[in-house]
Amino acid sequence: MFKARKQEGIELHGDIWKHIQPGEVVLEARGITKRYPGGVLANDHIDFKIRAGEIHAILGENGAGKTTLMSILFGLLQPDEGEIYVRGLPVRFRSPEDAIKMGIGMVHQHRKLVPAHTVMENILLGHPRSRGVIDVKTAEEEVVAIAERYGFKIDPRARVWQLTEGEKQVVEIVKALYRGAKILILDEPTSALTPVETERLLESIETMTQDALGVVPFITHKLPMVLAISDEVTILRRGRVVDRLPTAEATEQILAERMVGRPVIFTLQKPPHEPGQPVLQVEGLSARNNKGVLALKNVSFTVREGEILGIAGVAGNGQHELAETLFGLRPAESGRVQFLGQDVTHAPILDRWKMGMGYTPAERTEVGSIGDFSLVENVAMNYYFDERYNRAGFLDYGGLRQLTEQIIEEFDVATPGPDVKIQTLSGGNLQKVIMGRVLSREPKLVIANLPAQGLDVGATEFVQRKLLEARARDAAVILISEDLDEILALSDWIAPMYEGEIVKLLPAAAAKKEVVGAMIAGVYKENEP
Amino acid sequence: MLAFFIRSLEAAMIFTFAGLGELVDQRSGILNVGLEGIMLFGATLGFIAAQETESYLIGFLVGIGIGALLGLLHGFFSITLGVDQVVSGMGVWIFGFGMTTYIGSSHTGPLGMERLPTWFGISPFFFLSVVLVVLVWFVLNRTGWGLNIRSVGEQPSVAEVSGLKVARIRYLCVIFGGMMAGFAGAVYGLYYNPVWNYNFLMGWGFISLALVFFSMWNPYLLLGGAVLFGLLWQVSLNPQMFFPGLASRYIWRMVPFAMTILVLILISSKWFRSRWGATTPEALGKPYHKE
Amino acid sequence: MSLAGYRIRVQRRASVPGWKAALFSVLAILFGLILFSLIFIQAKQNPLEVYRQIFRYAFFNEYGLGLTINRFIFLAFASYAFIIPFRAGLWNIGMPGQLYLGALAAFGVVYAFGGKSGQVSIASGPLIVLMVVAAMVAGALVGGIAGFLRGKWNVNEIVVTMMLNFILFYLVSFMIKDGGPFMNLGGRGESFELPDAARAPLIAGYPYTLVLVFLFMIALQVLFARMSLGYQIRAFGQSPPAARYAGIKPFRISVLVFLLGGALAGLAGYHYFAAVPGVYKIARTYGYFGDLSFYGLICGLISLGNPIAALFMALLFGGLSIGGRYAQGKLHLGFGVDFALMGVLMISLVAFQFFYHYQITFSRVPKSRALAD
Repeated sequence: MFKARKQEGIELHGDIWKHIQPGEVVLEARGITKRYPGGVLANDHIDFKIRAGEIHAILGENGAGKTTLMSILFGLLQPDEGEIYVRGLPVRFRSPEDAIKMGIGMVHQHRKLVPAHTVMENILLGHPRSRGVIDVKTAEEEVVAIAERYGFKIDPRARVWQLTEGEKQVVEIVKALYRGAKILILDEPTSALTPVETERLLESIETMTQDALGVVPFITHKLPMVLAISDEVTILRRGRVVDRLPTAEATEQILAERMVGRPVIFTLQKPPHEPGQPVLQVEGLSARNNKGVLALKNVSFTVREGEILGIAGVAGNGQHELAETLFGLRPAESGRVQFLGQDVTHAPILDRWKMGMGYTPAERTEVGSIGDFSLVENVAMNYYFDERYNRAGFLDYGGLRQLTEQIIEEFDVATPGPDVKIQTLSGGNLQKVIMGRVLSREPKLVIANLPAQGLDVGATEFVQRKLLEARARDAAVILISEDLDEILALSDWIAPMYEGEIVKLLPAAAAKKEVVGAMIAGVYKENEP
Repeated sequence: MLAFFIRSLEAAMIFTFAGLGELVDQRSGILNVGLEGIMLFGATLGFIAAQETESYLIGFLVGIGIGALLGLLHGFFSITLGVDQVVSGMGVWIFGFGMTTYIGSSHTGPLGMERLPTWFGISPFFFLSVVLVVLVWFVLNRTGWGLNIRSVGEQPSVAEVSGLKVARIRYLCVIFGGMMAGFAGAVYGLYYNPVWNYNFLMGWGFISLALVFFSMWNPYLLLGGAVLFGLLWQVSLNPQMFFPGLASRYIWRMVPFAMTILVLILISSKWFRSRWGATTPEALGKPYHKE
Repeated sequence: MSLAGYRIRVQRRASVPGWKAALFSVLAILFGLILFSLIFIQAKQNPLEVYRQIFRYAFFNEYGLGLTINRFIFLAFASYAFIIPFRAGLWNIGMPGQLYLGALAAFGVVYAFGGKSGQVSIASGPLIVLMVVAAMVAGALVGGIAGFLRGKWNVNEIVVTMMLNFILFYLVSFMIKDGGPFMNLGGRGESFELPDAARAPLIAGYPYTLVLVFLFMIALQVLFARMSLGYQIRAFGQSPPAARYAGIKPFRISVLVFLLGGALAGLAGYHYFAAVPGVYKIARTYGYFGDLSFYGLICGLISLGNPIAALFMALLFGGLSIGGRYAQGKLHLGFGVDFALMGVLMISLVAFQFFYHYQITFSRVPKSRALAD
């Protein structure tokens, strides 16, 4: 290992990528093992090889060890065992800087960009050209040239917070290429893209492989995407490589089975249910986002008892603002919200809880829970004002404890007990507590903001079932999701959102995935089939 | 009247020195509310060193040096140990307040040295403060170092994956902030008010801190704010110049502090913030842990 | 990092059990005292001997103990003034200003009943009740300014409370010096002395404010552990966005905690200037007591906002500052030993914050890996 460290270094970077042949192994991982404190084996002797000009997909569920592996390849984590070879040279990445110097570029799922900076500043960050006084003009020309080479459009002077998710991804890719990346790791590259953007990205990736670059997308569940772009697939499950096969030999069914480890049956049952009286009536609602830009424009809809309204859309098209405005976390610019016939447009949040509205936020750790509080105290967030648990200003912690135990039981929360701090819970269990807490109030309206985002298959199913149960007991449900399949499976009505507007309200029975997909991508035209 | 303006500008230069350091500090994401403590240390130790050695140079160097050390201490607490930055800053302030009270007490009284020379009647330090303002602006906005500092203060995790060393950049910034505050204190104790007395800084550190919020992290606005404050301070010290015979001197002494609060209210208002498009460095005050 | 075959790891910890937190606090104090002994060594004294004298004077000398108890009461109120906003995540460093106005208000009541001349036109009982109420209301008003500004426009409460300290410092000067309305007729730059009727009654030689301290301890303990309001304050302190989502009104909490905190600081002012035997006036050195109230910040932080633990800290630091003053005179140390102690304790406390967030573990490194590293 002493030798290995001596060989790596900046001086190698210049020539390591010379005379590369298509098909040559450019990156190899051998026996990568990572154990977290507490004994969890996140990566268990993982091996794989990436060849020049190849797209090598790595497939696995949440918790399969993808994130850990990616972080190791990019120097964010150090493996406990195992070696990485770049063009046959053993390397050791102690920081992302080391990985970048060896030609590895990473495009993160949760964008690693500074929103307040310009595109150019983001691309220059960490680049050798940004030493001393920056020659912005030259750098701009170089960046635009790279972008054009791969068919990207880029505006170097725009601020990143103004960009769409797709444009941000382009910035990340161009940034990696400008840094001289030869191996590009893409984390969930299409999760936030519209179908049109996805298509464009695939074309650009084709061009990259012609330049003898290795491209490694890491993908959770978009199986068609894997089949469409990759040459080879490595499937991870519980930290281990369970299979590796050329994409040509794979089918969606095979991939899904290997990934989950059991035959997959899509079983969610949505029983028919008669809707009742209107619960929430929204008329012409508009609101601004945190930057003061109008992000929700003149939205109108009605949700009835026993009905699920699915708000579909790519992140950043006003769904988040809609949820917050409906619950009073964000002031309405104009328009009216009526709940059970009462005007609640400007009602305080506390009144909304008391009237029977419920909200499960997308930001579960920042907004939905208080990490340093116990489960009991977190449950109290929805009950501290409730007469059943608040007697003359004194809280009935005993009663709350019982309630928490009920929630733990009913929602199958894995926890040592109701008195541990909630930050010790996993993401799925945290969401179960939040859902359980809100649903235990038996609200007449539930607004669920990205309820299953980032959860594993089991927890996702559980959460979705609970929403259907709420519908069955005649609650109105607003489900906000970026996953079209989830929307189509659960909703009675679908409201696709694009740039802050609801494109069209569709009854779920008549909604086709392609049509909704076109609507959220902003390419839907009324008269087209 | 001229003396009055010069005195105002000289007060402004002290606010500017301390504020510039804190501005760079905050741009890198580190909040140091202990500015007052560092300035007290710079003023007191600078005062004692100059008096003992009869050398202004040594006095200033000691002020800068102790400032660097305290900046380093705050950096160690807030960057390496991950202590809440407000707790650590408060610690630095109380430490400075408590220790200087003890250390300086035997030096109570005037410095007893020939006053530093002036240019055209005003301290050369004023010109230095203007130069530094331009320099800091240029570095922050036109160079790679500035880009790195701003990025670390906005999104440290982004800086990290871009190959920057977040902790190192932040350390350099807090040390710079400490040096500037120590220097500002030394200028106060050796030039502006060279008579040591218990807690003689009178909250100027806190005012400098408020000025950084006022500046919205722009060095030019910081200078403008500092000059405004210097004027206000002088008006309140010399009310008889403008409002002869009106109210007791004690009432006038309250004015600059009340003005600080008023200005702070103004700049905190939504109206002001949106008008100037102010954005706080996003990671300000948040400890950063590598994932 | 490896050392002698052991791997030393520093890991973030999710939470600290209560007894460990208490242990760290005790260790922080011990470390601070050890650090502080450098000052005695520098003064060529044996630190152990000095500490022995400090403690003996503060706790086992009849006269010293009286001073310690009175300072304890003062620091307890100051600590509570800090703790209540602190539990809501807000920083009250305006104890000096709040206690100045509290004292002025208490004296104002006496003044209103003609007390400046030494006689009052009201019975002692009601007068004292009025004084206490006035002190608390006045302190609450000063605190309330910061709370209001914080809640309404998100104005930084640290700067505001600090500025208010200076403003009220000069207000006191205005009232008691240069012919101000409260000035002593002898013109000594201090306030008039309270007439007998306005002096706080003593219980077993100590002012009745001692009882108030324990009443407030119970009240705060109940507030935070049992009451809905206390829950809301804690929730807001832990996570403002989560609290807002739960329907807790940020403005209401900000104003409330500063009103309560300010009221307690007002009591501290009342205690020192109107209840401590032998004082009964706003002395020229009133600024000293203002600055002393910053000890409340340390008590609050080191007790992690726990009202019971804060009392132990207030007693300890009260004794240390009284004993330190005594040692200062006896050993001819410089002025401000008690403040220096405050600074050193604070910095030691900050350093020990590390242990609340991290733990250090030692594990044996396997031989082969030790070589490879």
